Amino acid sequence: MSPLDNQTSSTTLPPPPPPGSNAAAAVVGASKVYGSGDSAVYALNDVSVEFRKGEFTAIMGPSGSGKSTLMHCIAGLDELTSGDAYVDGVNLAKLNDKDLTVLRRTKIGFIFQAFNLVPTLTAEENIKLPLLLGNEDGDAEWIARIIETVHLRDRLTHRPSELSGGQQQRVAVARALASRPSIIFADEPTGNLDSTTGTEILTFMRRAVTDLGQTIVMVTHDPVAAAYADRILFLADGKVVDEMREPTAAKVLDHLKSLGN
Amino acid sequence: MFRIALKGVLARKGRLILTSIAVVLGTAFLSGTSVFTATLNRTFDNLFSDVFKNVNAYVRSTEVVDTDFGFQERQRIETSLVDVVAEVPGVDAAAANLQAFARIVGKDGKPLGNEGNGPPTFGSSVVDSKADIWQMSQGRFPEGMNEVALDEASAEAGKFVLGDTVKVITAVGSQEFTLVGIANYGDVRSPGGATFALWDVDTASSLLAKPGLIDAVIVVGDGTMTDEELTAQIQAALPTGKNLETITGAQITKETQDDIKTALSFFGILLTIFAFIGLGVGSFVIYNVFSISAAQRQRENALLRAIGASRRQVTLSMLMEALAVGLVGSVLGLLGGIGLSAGLTALLKAIGVDLPSSGLVVGTNTIVQTIIIGLIVTVVSALLPAFRAGRVPPLAAMRDTALDTAGKLRVRLVLGGTPLLGGVALIGAVIGGARTELLGLAILFIFIGALTLGPLVARPVALTLGRPIASLRGVTGRMARQNAARNPKRTSRTAAPVLIGVALVTAVTALAASIQAEIRGVFGEQFTGDFTISSEAQGFGGLSPSLALDVAKIDGVKQATGIGQSVVEVEGKGRFITVINPKTVEGIFDIGLLDDAKVTSLSKSGVLVSEKTAERDNLTNGSTIPAKLSDGTQVDLVVEGVYANDQLAGRYTVSSELFEGTTVSRFDFGVYILKTEGTDSAALRSDLQKLVDSYGSGTLLSKDEYIDKQAAQVNQLLGLIYGLLFLSIIIAIVGIIITLLLSVYERQREIGLLRAVGMTRGQVRSTVRWESVITSLIGAVTGILLGFVLGYVVILSLRDQGITKFELPISSAVTILIVAFVVGVLAAAYPARRATKVDVLAALNTM
Ligand SMILES: Nc1ncnc2c1ncn2[C@@H]1O[C@H](COP(=O)(O)OP(=O)(O)O)[C@@H](O)[C@H]1O
Ligand SMILES: [Mg+2]
Repeated sequence: MSPLDNQTSSTTLPPPPPPGSNAAAAVVGASKVYGSGDSAVYALNDVSVEFRKGEFTAIMGPSGSGKSTLMHCIAGLDELTSGDAYVDGVNLAKLNDKDLTVLRRTKIGFIFQAFNLVPTLTAEENIKLPLLLGNEDGDAEWIARIIETVHLRDRLTHRPSELSGGQQQRVAVARALASRPSIIFADEPTGNLDSTTGTEILTFMRRAVTDLGQTIVMVTHDPVAAAYADRILFLADGKVVDEMREPTAAKVLDHLKSLGN
Repeated sequence: MFRIALKGVLARKGRLILTSIAVVLGTAFLSGTSVFTATLNRTFDNLFSDVFKNVNAYVRSTEVVDTDFGFQERQRIETSLVDVVAEVPGVDAAAANLQAFARIVGKDGKPLGNEGNGPPTFGSSVVDSKADIWQMSQGRFPEGMNEVALDEASAEAGKFVLGDTVKVITAVGSQEFTLVGIANYGDVRSPGGATFALWDVDTASSLLAKPGLIDAVIVVGDGTMTDEELTAQIQAALPTGKNLETITGAQITKETQDDIKTALSFFGILLTIFAFIGLGVGSFVIYNVFSISAAQRQRENALLRAIGASRRQVTLSMLMEALAVGLVGSVLGLLGGIGLSAGLTALLKAIGVDLPSSGLVVGTNTIVQTIIIGLIVTVVSALLPAFRAGRVPPLAAMRDTALDTAGKLRVRLVLGGTPLLGGVALIGAVIGGARTELLGLAILFIFIGALTLGPLVARPVALTLGRPIASLRGVTGRMARQNAARNPKRTSRTAAPVLIGVALVTAVTALAASIQAEIRGVFGEQFTGDFTISSEAQGFGGLSPSLALDVAKIDGVKQATGIGQSVVEVEGKGRFITVINPKTVEGIFDIGLLDDAKVTSLSKSGVLVSEKTAERDNLTNGSTIPAKLSDGTQVDLVVEGVYANDQLAGRYTVSSELFEGTTVSRFDFGVYILKTEGTDSAALRSDLQKLVDSYGSGTLLSKDEYIDKQAAQVNQLLGLIYGLLFLSIIIAIVGIIITLLLSVYERQREIGLLRAVGMTRGQVRSTVRWESVITSLIGAVTGILLGFVLGYVVILSLRDQGITKFELPISSAVTILIVAFVVGVLAAAYPARRATKVDVLAALNTM
């Protein structure tokens, strides 16, 4: 490497290596900046993090700390200002809109806080939506198993408006699982639900990881929800400030209190 | 509240523009029509005040025959009157004026001008006098039987130069002349694109009228007295008892200008009908846009209500917005209309109607009318949505987005079903013998019923029409189908312009197809000959009566007869009258005489009348009908027979002998030919063609070709309808575009979600496109069905006119469906692009 290169690049470190082969997704040196100059806001500030296959990760942090931004950038919905994002070993920066779309359809599952479903399609069509869009049949046995798991067998022909909030969210979970994606992103999936229904959804997500071997990343504010995960990442001001393994609700609450001080 | 409304309008410029476009469309046609008609009138006003600017007095006959269609035949006067008038004190110059059908034949043997449709072709007298409007720009005035002059535009079009031989067709046949002069009409090269062949007065009289007769005397005074005094002087000097009158230059100018206006008014009325249909259809688009925007603002309006705005205030703020939209739209429509009318003028020029340009006339009344009508239509269209907006319960602020259902099913079923059934019942009543006029009401009822029931049927129809698309296009097709069905009111309002346009077009096509079938039947039965020679110049000019005589002389022709038309005055009203030659018509053309009357025995003053005329006027054989020929000759026509079918022969049929010894100039519109048995058709045809060529006018056709051509005349009606179709297509496209744009806007979140879970841009586009196609097809399918009913009703109303066959225009229906499909695809282009541009993150963030 020539001295000249060292001067012009913003960092003197060599480019970080791509993530290991047991990572479902990762970001390396990821930054996301809104605006420029004095008014620049760092939504993400040099974040490097890996999500291992078969692991359930929760992301916590105060509002505006960059949780959603991190998720959107790994999921190919938004672009990093600098750094790299990988899904299944593929660097997203190298993909065009069409490839990103196909990647989201085949490798990524989404569960949003609300309005997860297409109102004109039935529950079954909503579940199979990523497959239908790709003109694929999918794994019928797998889909039957998911539907069984989320207890939706007798609701398949209903439209979203005929389903309760909890049922809608179960459909969303089933959809996220349907194409057997490499990773599932959930942005406050229980934020709009009462605690009983929320518990139900979280149980399903937990089982998807434990029993079905899926990988899930979930943004949440709720320590009880976060306790369902295998590990918790704490974000603040666009940086990962801490990590906790084997969380319990009490541990999380204690930790949040300590952060608050 | 007013300020809130204004802010609301300004904050959503996009919606303001979209809504305005709907208004612009409606009003542009209106103002375009108004500007165009005013411009045309002004042009002719200028032309004739220019032409008659030196004329102080005008002498003519008082005897005139007016007909149903605005045709006017005035009796001619004696040429010798020119000299009488010239001697009157105060007269500087007097000149003969004579004008009638004549046609210049080009060097290629084809007549100049467009026979049948296009400006007329004339022959006229010309004399070197201050009083003559024509002045030579090249060469000299023609003199004698062998010289002619042409108007400058025709000379140029035919590439004629002085000294050329020019063939001209007139009532007495075609003749060749030497071109000695090229003339201007006042300040223009030729008035209104008409062609003119000019002769000296005596030659013109013998070719165009009868020797010794002219139309009028044009007088230029010497300036010693006013026009009124001069006119009185001349009138006093004229021989009495000859039905002569003298009018001033101002009067003849005004009369000519008014005549032209009357002739053009039909055109203006037609355009205005189009404009109002456009406005009516456009108001559906406006209504739709306001409804959608009210639905989308339900939450906002509910919030206003929740924080204390009254119903009235919410409604008023919507109406205020409508007023703003109406104003903007009308002003833009006015401007658009001016552009449209400039386009129409250019179009006229392109088809050969060359008019001296006097600039576009944008009258105050055009401006006021456009803006007021635009405002009224907009505000009225917004009334219902505005009242509905006011009724939004404050609680809706907490509810989810706009949901529109077809409203109270029962109420709508009653509101729509009642007029629909009423309309059907009326049709039934008319079939059963009730008054035909009731059919108009029936049509209105059926339309109201259909449009009211629209939202009820929109969903099932959308789902049915969308089924093949859903199964062919996978999940995008399925979503398109559901999207088209999810807002039934919106879908039916969007499809309404398509429905109305298609229904009108289908109805008229059905009518045309039925008339054609009728024509084929009638001509096939009545015309038993082999060939015809026909003139395109319907009602004005035509074939020389000598043509039929010459045809009869050709070897291989067994029999030939000419049939013509003239105008007579019966009971003070001008009537078209069919003129036959009773000696030759038998065996070629069967007019269908009843009982055992024989056409061959029709006498000089005999008349055959149609059965309907006989019934109406209580005529039987031997009854007399006092009539006046167009040259003023009085005759008592004696009924000598009654015929059943009046489609070809009209009300009255007389013998050509009736006109012998009168000064009426007569033409045949057709010569009908029967060949001798065993004659080779091809050889005979070429002989006949040679004769026709030597006459320079007329088209030779076989029986089959002739019948095809008669049937094809109905296509002119269709041309008109395609204009209408085009108009409604444009409005429908704009309506669909606007609705789709608003729907895409409304469904941003959904689109964002779909994009997030893996829908490609292409799939987004395809969803919008198929929704558009389904919507367009809903309009087309229902429109075609409605159009069939409408067409049937119109034909029912014409049963007294002898139209009995009802033909379903299946091929046109297929064409319309294809057009509707294309319309759907085209209309979706822009909204689909917008849909692919939806920002996924922004859409997700609003969740
Ligand atoms: N489109 C944007 N433009 C400007 N700033 C943004 C935009 N999106 C997010 N931000 C900013 O980036 C930071 C992180 O946002 P976000 O990832 O949504 O936080 P979280 O999901 O943790 O609440 C916030 O300060 C936010 O204001
Ligand atoms: Mg967030």
